[in-house]
Amino acid sequence: MTFDPLEQRGIPLDRQVRGWRELNVTPIDPDASDPYTRCRVITMNGIEVEAILFSHQLARNTVDPEVKRGLAEVRYVEAQQQKAVNWLLPGVSSVLETTIAYEQVAVDLTSWIARMEPDPYLRQAYEFGVLEDFDHLYRYANLYEMIEHRKAEAIVDGLTEVMPGRPTRMHHRHPFDNVRDPYDKAATDPLSKLHALTVLSAEQQTMNFYMNTGPTYMEPIARQLYQEIGLVEEEHVTHYESLVDPGETWWEQLVNHEYNECYLYYSFMEQESHPKVKALWELHLNMELEHLRIACDLMRRHDGREPEEVLAPQLPNVLTFEPNKEYLRELLATQIDLTTLGAGYVREAHERFEQMQQRLHDGERPPSDRVIDQHREMFDRDYRQETEGPHPVASERA
Amino acid sequence: MAGTGNGEAMDEQARQGDPGADEDVVALLVRQHGRIHTLFDEVRAAEGAERHEPFRRLMHLLAVHETAEEEVVHPHARSAFDGGSDVVRERLAEEKAAKEKLAALEELDVRDPTFMPTLLSLRDAVLAHARAEERYEFALLRRTTSPTRLALMAAAVRAAEATAPTRPHPGVESATANLTLAPPLTAVVDRARDAVRSALRDAEGP
Repeated sequence: MTFDPLEQRGIPLDRQVRGWRELNVTPIDPDASDPYTRCRVITMNGIEVEAILFSHQLARNTVDPEVKRGLAEVRYVEAQQQKAVNWLLPGVSSVLETTIAYEQVAVDLTSWIARMEPDPYLRQAYEFGVLEDFDHLYRYANLYEMIEHRKAEAIVDGLTEVMPGRPTRMHHRHPFDNVRDPYDKAATDPLSKLHALTVLSAEQQTMNFYMNTGPTYMEPIARQLYQEIGLVEEEHVTHYESLVDPGETWWEQLVNHEYNECYLYYSFMEQESHPKVKALWELHLNMELEHLRIACDLMRRHDGREPEEVLAPQLPNVLTFEPNKEYLRELLATQIDLTTLGAGYVREAHERFEQMQQRLHDGERPPSDRVIDQHREMFDRDYRQETEGPHPVASERA
Repeated sequence: MAGTGNGEAMDEQARQGDPGADEDVVALLVRQHGRIHTLFDEVRAAEGAERHEPFRRLMHLLAVHETAEEEVVHPHARSAFDGGSDVVRERLAEEKAAKEKLAALEELDVRDPTFMPTLLSLRDAVLAHARAEERYEFALLRRTTSPTRLALMAAAVRAAEATAPTRPHPGVESATANLTLAPPLTAVVDRARDAVRSALRDAEGP
């Protein structure tokens, strides 16, 4: 890998603001595009949303008006980037279709990151979380067939399997047990910082999406399922954000954000099959290089440190969307029954877990179970797409 | 299934929103939109002459579906809510545009190099129209129409649906033969319209 974002020159900031014509991007085809193109769009939207929200928080903690203006200027461009990226999604897609694509992102993005993560404690956090997103995909896919009479394979296109993961009813843990231990910013591999930021951004966007679109459904089972899974996304954001070392300074965090955006735009530019989308990744990469340069200057000025001290010596291996079927099957076979206790993982349902379950479910079947019950009533089966054989866990077979 | 609902209003909403309910015309039509989308996928995935058969089923379902909407849903929606006639006028304009694309497509051989781009253009028009119905017409229809009336409309739509051959004719192996045996679309539309009108007449009684 020869690409070093710190050595590259980007587009000068005063030339980054786009007019309406440039912002008016042509949406991708809802059926004929590579599903992983849509996954890259959804991922980068989550990354840009995090960039915007982080910058707002930083600005609220900044006294110097000149620095505030500087942050506002970069943030406006990031807001335009978010628009250009997210508006690639086609308006003819339903909320549920986009939801299924969000879960495909969560499954294949988190799996890839888990596979590449050098730190075993962090890897465990991703492996634990991905089995829950995997189950959400299955629940939403069943809802989709009930409401729209369409099969989720038309969206995920055989790249991601659809079958039960860790049952969603078991995701509702006591909030204490969603807080993990953070990595040590001085000792951890710089790649681990990028991984944590990427997954937390994706999950945060998913949480925001469900909390806002869920009530647009009329069907009670749809409204309730979005509520339930939306609450699990709250747990996931807690889980992933707690991995980040809170000892990182604001400016260090800003540099990490901008560096991660360079890393991801570069990665996606390298793999993108859709020419227009590829051109957008390239344009945004060239914008981010300048944002990174500005962030590095701020860090030097405010922290008196060189950004090279906290960043990777070179850009890591490109982050790749690809099938992770065998990997997920292995995780299903070995980790489906895990839960958390404190900052660690256990197999037994402990007292605090049981209390939370009792309080929430209160003897009722949760929406995530009822969606499957109702689907079975309509079709005499559940919906699943097991392309690689029967479910690896015998009790979860259809 | 309404959960912690309070009173009858909630129960009624729960019944209306049951995605499996045959007696809810909106649920029925949304499911037909899904089937139409899937048939577009099937034609798109097929090669050359293999496209005949799914294409024929797509044409028939489209014809029956649009006829049912024109006969049952749009006339009711016009007066069911404020702005209904404007909403319906826009939907009819979309339908007209889609029908023109459909007519152009019918002229083409499925192996013609312009067939696929024309099909995709029709698909874009049909999907956008379907989504607009769901968002701007059906949502209001459900809000303003009694369950009894929705059920009556559903019965009429089902009657139209029953006139559409959704599977290949049994015993006819060749897709080309199937197509020639199939009735022309105008006849499909006529049959669907008759079925709808008769169902509505029966429901309203003598």
